Amino acid sequence: MKFILLVCTLLFLQACSSKEATPPLINEHKTSSEDKNEFADEFADEYENEEKNIIDPLSGYNSMMTSFNDAVIIYALNPVAEAYGYIIPEPLRIGVSNAIKNINFPVRFVNNILQGKFQNSSDELERFIINSTIGIAGLMDPAAKYKNIPAHREDFGQTLGYYGVDPGFHIVLPFLGPSNVRDSIGIIADGYVSPLINVKDIVGYKIPDNLAQTIGITTLYFINRTSLNLGEYESIKKDAIELYPFLRDIYEQKRVSEIDE
Amino acid sequence: MLNKIILLCLLSVMYSHAIEEQRIQTVMDSKVKKVLNVLKDKKLSQKQKEQKSIRVMDGIFDYHTMAQISLGKKWKTLSSKEKKQFTHAFEKKIKHSYVDKLRLYNNQKVIIKALKKPKSNRITLENQIIGKSDTYKVIYQFYKKKQKNDWYIYDVRLAGVSIVQTYRKQFSDFLKTKSFSQLLKSL
Repeated sequence: MKFILLVCTLLFLQACSSKEATPPLINEHKTSSEDKNEFADEFADEYENEEKNIIDPLSGYNSMMTSFNDAVIIYALNPVAEAYGYIIPEPLRIGVSNAIKNINFPVRFVNNILQGKFQNSSDELERFIINSTIGIAGLMDPAAKYKNIPAHREDFGQTLGYYGVDPGFHIVLPFLGPSNVRDSIGIIADGYVSPLINVKDIVGYKIPDNLAQTIGITTLYFINRTSLNLGEYESIKKDAIELYPFLRDIYEQKRVSEIDE
Repeated sequence: MLNKIILLCLLSVMYSHAIEEQRIQTVMDSKVKKVLNVLKDKKLSQKQKEQKSIRVMDGIFDYHTMAQISLGKKWKTLSSKEKKQFTHAFEKKIKHSYVDKLRLYNNQKVIIKALKKPKSNRITLENQIIGKSDTYKVIYQFYKKKQKNDWYIYDVRLAGVSIVQTYRKQFSDFLKTKSFSQLLKSL
């Protein structure tokens, strides 16, 4: 009896939650030419012209570097991250991820100010204070969890884009992956602000003392992040017909949408 | 007994198709929750989870439209048989990719955020997936069928990347040097 009731309720809920209609059967669509033209017009303006040529002077180097990075991820980063994830329990790894994010607060703070997003920078400041103290040096994220203040990721590449700087041509960086002229400049500029990057021993608040330590921390960051997102890269890669143009395209699309926000 | 319940549940799921405007948010909310519950269900095998999740989401995706946009100008030059073949292959590809992504998001929280209506026949619904180290934004894009109040998904943006746009670019690049039948095969 119980199960009949259950089934009836389920069916009822189903009927309430959605309206019955003809499913979009593949072979039942109209194919009159008038219909097609209308259709093309309806969606065409929402999508980029697919035949547009992309200026890509480095395409030879880029696709080579993409294969190199791909091999690094598959044969070095992934196995190391897997072993690391096996040894270190997940809550601790999430803590490391939070802490690194917290220490990098100056980058987000400065770039939000540069883009005139003052509410976001005040959010960032508040997050930094709460998470560094109650959140035990940033290992936890009570600001997001209890006070609902999200992080506002902004970098200098986005700041440049915000002021209308063109991305320039695409460059695939060794180890770091897809980038372009604008964002590569952005990475260097953010490096000056970030407490985790110290190439020439410039500012007192930098955590690493030299380039080797900077590389060490950056490597830890990548291993830690990969261990929390194992399989993600492979899954994305499966959607590619050809890896390099695919990764280039999704990177550029992602940056456009990040700058628009 | 148990078989009957399962059968009835399956049948009830199959009846969920196009959505009316007022219901988009609630229906999507319940569908997302259903998928998350399926993924969390330890009694199901991976294969069962995949099949069930696809069934929950199936009726609201307009694969035909997605296939058509993704092929761009080339679409008009195809015969109706080729169109059918392509749509079929594309649908399979999209579903496979969706299922593959689902496997990664087993224990994550999803928050449905804003519903926006940029045009009279377009609606976007923003979801947030709270991952272990990052938060991702997923935007479902709906369009309205002409002269009806039925809404279908024609594109999904994952972290700012449009699925349809990405395929559109790839297909066009592929077709510059290779033939349509080779494209069909590669799907």
